[in-house]
Amino acid sequence: MKNRLQYALCELETLENSARTESPLQRLDARSKLLTTVVFLATMLSVPLTRLSEILLFALYPLLTAPLGGMRYGTILRRSLYVVPFAALIGVFNLFCDHQPALRIGTLAVTEGWVVFVSILLRGMLSVQALLVLIGSTGFFELCRGMQRLGMPHLFTVQLLFVYRYLHLLLDEALRLSWAREARSFGRRSFPLQVWGTLVAQLLVRTCDRAEQIHRAMLARGFKGRLPDGISPHNRWRRADTQFLAVWGAALLLARLTGPVETLTRLLP
Amino acid sequence: MHMSDALVSPTVAAVAGTASLLLLGTALRKLRPASGMHAAPEANERIVPLMGVTGAFVFAAQMINFAVPGTGSSGHIVGGILLSAILGPWAALLTLSSVLVLQCLLFADGGLLALGCNIFNMAVLSCLAAYPLVYRPIAGRSTSPGRIFAASLAASVAGLELGALAVTAETVASGITALPFGRFLLFMLPIHLAIGIGEGIATGTVLCAVQRYRPELLAGRRNEKQTGKTLAAIALAALVVGGSFSWIASSRPDGLEWSIERTAADPEIEAQPDGAHRTAAALQQRTAALPDYDTSAAGLVGCGVILLAAWGGTRLLRTRRRQA
Repeated sequence: MKNRLQYALCELETLENSARTESPLQRLDARSKLLTTVVFLATMLSVPLTRLSEILLFALYPLLTAPLGGMRYGTILRRSLYVVPFAALIGVFNLFCDHQPALRIGTLAVTEGWVVFVSILLRGMLSVQALLVLIGSTGFFELCRGMQRLGMPHLFTVQLLFVYRYLHLLLDEALRLSWAREARSFGRRSFPLQVWGTLVAQLLVRTCDRAEQIHRAMLARGFKGRLPDGISPHNRWRRADTQFLAVWGAALLLARLTGPVETLTRLLP
Repeated sequence: MHMSDALVSPTVAAVAGTASLLLLGTALRKLRPASGMHAAPEANERIVPLMGVTGAFVFAAQMINFAVPGTGSSGHIVGGILLSAILGPWAALLTLSSVLVLQCLLFADGGLLALGCNIFNMAVLSCLAAYPLVYRPIAGRSTSPGRIFAASLAASVAGLELGALAVTAETVASGITALPFGRFLLFMLPIHLAIGIGEGIATGTVLCAVQRYRPELLAGRRNEKQTGKTLAAIALAALVVGGSFSWIASSRPDGLEWSIERTAADPEIEAQPDGAHRTAAALQQRTAALPDYDTSAAGLVGCGVILLAAWGGTRLLRTRRRQA
């Protein structure tokens, strides 16, 4: 049985590997992908909750971009399922408050509450899927660099990259602490509060000491409060980036503004 | 407490995002190491690595669960008060925000559009409201573990309750839940009271242990003077956010009324002019506020077909590429 720390470490590893895999989506500029994701989220989330079929149509975006980024849609779908309980907790009230029938499948009338409930779950899952496609095809470093070039202040980028770099180290240290404790206490999973407090406080004190060492090491290497701009293979905005952003942006806006599903079904006899 | 994108509308996300961005900008200005001729104050330069590593620490500490006494369940910390007590409120705000950004991007924990809401609910309210307004007055300059513990408990509860209030306001203003504000609040506040007490006890335990092992880590914060500017900034942000939410909420009737309005105005259920029978049926539909449900079902089916076709297409392409 893995504990959460191991799980997080594995997840980080998978993410790094996925971001390093060569794919058409991976070659695009991080800014282009980030902006497209934002357009996707803004258009998808502004669809009224009662129009379930239009929200469903937005699933085309992760469905089509995941293979472009060399990822399996099934994996992304499975990973996005974890958001369901949280969304359900909030959406469940609609089931009890909204009893008007909204659509009929055979003889079964589905109430408006159910439609809204399913819409909320779908919104949650689709937004997570879009994020997973973005990060899985970009990687954290490139994404930070992209955000910095879009205007995020240096200090915040430095902070994000710092946390990311030391995340592995501290997860590892926390893992060793919790293993040591597990080895000494037979079969008990979570920590009694007092032990936990001591453990976490020790980790904190060591962390602060480590920060001091890091600071000295950085000063020795000429740190002046900002990270130097590195050389990255994905440094230039190419035509493909413009195309990706323009095509998807236009498609998403059209899907939001015209409601193609409703129009098509109206045309059907 | 991480809000998913499913729970916010773009308008609410934009308002909360703007408020969080402004406060983050203020924090960055306060902490920026002075460049050029003016030598940076040492504390500011040193705080960059400290913020980075403590951010990673919060990440790791959140994954070690402790047993909640007497219940058999377990919990973890959020860390707003803990970070504020060690780094000071502005640096803690930046650190906690960076942790939230990472959780969003790496683990898809909380949405990208909802990031502004999450930063406001969890980082701003606990670092800039609960810490200066509750923790500092109670803890004062004292070094006694009892005072530190009491201050942590009270501040954590205050921070989480404020957060729950904000989550409720944001969800209701987004028109997601059919529950009215008051009843939703009655559901959220008790849950977060329990979580807040857990968080407070955990924070207090850690801070008391830090005070025992390494008192100088907490000592730095004890002597800083409380500035009125912080309070003014929070009050302003709260006013702006509260005002915008109430404006959004009042300009948009609650979800139910709004959907009735929409279906009633839907051209599809207008009476069609062939025969009294159809007119009566349409009239009945309108009075019952029913949309033309067979069309919506057809829309769902059509959408499903499109998605299946797209999925099949990508599968075909993939196998072809593998064969090639």
